[in-house]
Amino acid sequence: MRVVIAEDNALLREGLVLLIRSSGHEVAAVAETGPEIVPTLLEQRPDVAVIDVRMPPGFRDEGLRAAIEARKRIPDLPVLVLSQYVEQTYAAELLAAGARGVGYLLKDRVSRITEFLDALQRVAEGGTALDPEVVSQLMNRHRQIDPLTAREREVLQLMAEGRDNATIAAMLVVTERAVHKHIGNIFRKLGLPATDSGHRRVLAVLAYLNS
Amino acid sequence: MGDGSVTEVAVARIARSARATRTLADGAVTAGGAFFGMAGTAVITMTCLLGVGLLVLPELVRPLRGIAAAERRRVSRATGWRITAPYRRADDGPRLHRARVVLTDPATWRDLTWMLAHGPLGLAAVLLAVVLWASMSVALTIPLWWWAEPPGSVVALVRLTNWPEAVALPLALAAACAAALGWLVPLAARWQLRLGHMLLRPLGQEDLAERVRELTESRAGALEAHAAELRRIERDLHDGIQAHLVSVAVRLGLAERGFTAEPDTALGLLRDAKKGVEDVLAQLRVVVRSVYPPILADRGLAGAVSALASGQRVPVTLTASGDLPRLPAAVEAAAYYVTAEALANVSKHSAATHATVSIVKRGLTLRITVQDNGTGGASDSGGSGLAGIRRRVAALDGTTRIDSPAGTGTTIEVELPCEW
Repeated sequence: MRVVIAEDNALLREGLVLLIRSSGHEVAAVAETGPEIVPTLLEQRPDVAVIDVRMPPGFRDEGLRAAIEARKRIPDLPVLVLSQYVEQTYAAELLAAGARGVGYLLKDRVSRITEFLDALQRVAEGGTALDPEVVSQLMNRHRQIDPLTAREREVLQLMAEGRDNATIAAMLVVTERAVHKHIGNIFRKLGLPATDSGHRRVLAVLAYLNS
Repeated sequence: MGDGSVTEVAVARIARSARATRTLADGAVTAGGAFFGMAGTAVITMTCLLGVGLLVLPELVRPLRGIAAAERRRVSRATGWRITAPYRRADDGPRLHRARVVLTDPATWRDLTWMLAHGPLGLAAVLLAVVLWASMSVALTIPLWWWAEPPGSVVALVRLTNWPEAVALPLALAAACAAALGWLVPLAARWQLRLGHMLLRPLGQEDLAERVRELTESRAGALEAHAAELRRIERDLHDGIQAHLVSVAVRLGLAERGFTAEPDTALGLLRDAKKGVEDVLAQLRVVVRSVYPPILADRGLAGAVSALASGQRVPVTLTASGDLPRLPAAVEAAAYYVTAEALANVSKHSAATHATVSIVKRGLTLRITVQDNGTGGASDSGGSGLAGIRRRVAALDGTTRIDSPAGTGTTIEVELPCEW
């Protein structure tokens, strides 16, 4: 697949390019500053964009703003945002316009190469990839009045990270059937129809986060 | 009340008059100074009208302020009132700005008012006292010699013709003089001291308001400098160290993946990663040093600055009192920072062949002077770090003076208060 990278730090940019090329994907273009991002994406129309939150000239959240802007101009453009630190506000802003094809990961995750490439692939295919830390921060906001049980929250958390049922079952050391049951309960409690499609899963996460 | 107490009262009165006369005599000295001051003011006004004076106004008014300072000391001595100098700081910033500070300082104009009043009045008062003492003394002796004068001479303001007059009139005159000495002279002395106190002390509220404004500014500056510093450290850690480490980790991850399939590539990646880790460590040292230079903790300011000076590209002569006492950590860190920034400027911008650094503690003030023989023309703009120096110094309520005429080198002089 074709990837556009927006990252100002030369070393990291080089690392990302190396990583993506080594796994057989194509780096279509790189953007080194915030203002370059949207035009580059409009021109390249990549399968997925990897964007650093903090970019020059302001070194604030130029990358995030560009990601949101780009998704307005190119609906459902898969975007994987990398951040120096977890900021749930950023994730929430990014998810506000829909969670299809959205990823938000800590930069540190890049070094877990297989996982990072999985996340990139998932996002490119319209899934989500939220950093476990982002998810747990977002989930923590909801501790007080919570319709979900602890186990259901765990399942939802893993769903939010973008895992499929088999992976969730393996990670929680339960059967897939049990996972399926939990997901059904989650959908019911959040008032969503019980058909388990990828899109519903995303909706569930959003419904929970916004509840 | 017996005779003894009457005598005591008389003695006390005479002593009081004598003291008052002494005060007026001292006042005559500063009154003379005030006349010089007025003449000086006229000269300064002319040089200012010509423009030249404005450039060195703080230096020109210094002698005038010296006269006022003498009066302040005199008044303080005579009354016990503590009078501090009321002037605004005019030792910072461009020359015209300093001139403006002097001209808009109410203390400048109050000094002048005092000179105009105290000059003539001070001389008149001392003259009055001397005349009164002399008249009284002379009047008391008239009965002894009036008869020796040719008949018809005017003695003691009237023509004395017989003994009763010759005793009564001079005594009356002496009594009048005594009354004036007992009442008028102490009054004049008191008023003179009050005048000096009134015009030369800091205006209570204005002074406080000014001080509050300065402190508010320096506090805001301190907070801002602090915040800017924290931001910088965060940037250095996130954008430098973290990004570096991630790129190292990526290489390690790729090496791990290709370990069996492509051992040569993996080895290359491992070498890259190792080099990356070394770079990160070097970078980390820089960040840590910028937070608080470890050598400052180990060797104190003199040692740290000496290490700094010896590491420069441009030869640096260092004059630091080797026995600089340990100062508050904030002061040491600021002094080190100022020196480091100033020397960085010297090697980056000045094209100088030699620089001198002097660090001296005098009283409660630490003075840091960094001087070079380069091209001069340094300004706060253009990322020269001068703005950073000013901010950091102002944060500690210190002063920065930058003198950098084009072509003759740059002098940066910073004064930091060492105790609060």
